[in-house]
Amino acid sequence: MKMLRNFLRFLVTLAVTGAAVWLGYRLWQHYLDSPWTRDGVVQAHIADIAADVPGRVVGLEVHDNELVHQGQPLFRIDPERYRIALQAAREQLEKARENLLLRRTQADRRAMLGPDAVAGEHREESLLEERAAEAAYRAAGAAVRLARLNLHRTVILAPATGYVTSLRLRKGDYALAGIPQIALVEQHSFWVYGYFEQTRLSGVRIGDPAEITLLGQKTRLDGRVQGIAAAVADRESHKGDRLVASVRPAFNWVRLAARVPVRVKILRIPKGVHISAGMICTVVVRPDAKERPHAGHQHQKT
Amino acid sequence: MPREIPLFNAMVPALLLIFLGTLVLYLLLDRLLADWDLDRLVWHPALFRLAIFICVFSLLGIWCYS
Repeated sequence: MKMLRNFLRFLVTLAVTGAAVWLGYRLWQHYLDSPWTRDGVVQAHIADIAADVPGRVVGLEVHDNELVHQGQPLFRIDPERYRIALQAAREQLEKARENLLLRRTQADRRAMLGPDAVAGEHREESLLEERAAEAAYRAAGAAVRLARLNLHRTVILAPATGYVTSLRLRKGDYALAGIPQIALVEQHSFWVYGYFEQTRLSGVRIGDPAEITLLGQKTRLDGRVQGIAAAVADRESHKGDRLVASVRPAFNWVRLAARVPVRVKILRIPKGVHISAGMICTVVVRPDAKERPHAGHQHQKT
Repeated sequence: MPREIPLFNAMVPALLLIFLGTLVLYLLLDRLLADWDLDRLVWHPALFRLAIFICVFSLLGIWCYS
């Protein structure tokens, strides 16, 4: 009887200890190996908008954080210089036209006069001159079109619908051509980069559903894995003298897992949730939930 | 259950909170177990109590992270 009781006591302890080991292992798996990360960052397409022609900014048509629509003017550059340039180009065109008429009349007259009155060389020369004048006329026409284009480009238009952000441009600033002046965050272009440790990547597949939780918010956004980055920078790769590889001699005892950006598409942003590029979020990929119907189900959740 | 919780404006993993919660739960459980004669029922009380603690902690953790 005593032996049986002792055996039972032993068995109870063993069972509970076994359960502890197994549960601890499962927790370890869930926490360290399952595909989720606390390092997600919201991204967006941001267009750097620069002036195409240089000049003084005479009109700022938008204010900071404004939603602008595609084709809406953002700012204006002093058009006076370009207006004058267009005028000058038009005058040049007129001049080229007159010159062409002159050369054409000359060539026609010499062609009619016959070999006794005009030497063949002269006739040929005037023909070539007429052709050169024709080309100059066309070039002057192109110069007018260019001047007109430059004048049009003094109004800088929004290339896409989006939000003006961090607006520092002021009226009176001098805008150089090709130097970005306004950042435009494209509307509906938000996505999330989840920086997953490489040890967790085996659980991530393209097309897997994902849950995005913005830091400090309760609402979960539904997402879908769109792609896994094909490359990250190699931190050991430096070039030494004569292009040989420079590799650190020691190999650390503790090795850190590389992190690979996983692109997650945000399927829907619920009303009342504000999202900005740069926000930090937690991303959980749920490979097991793949077979679930998407549309209806996911709408209920948020 | 969110995976991270704000603590003095810093986000810490929810596992920390779960650990503290388990501690409280464990103390209550221990009080209950003390009423029965633990020595009589189990072979190695200290190991048994440790195992109970790990079980509770892991269960709560798995519930939170899955």
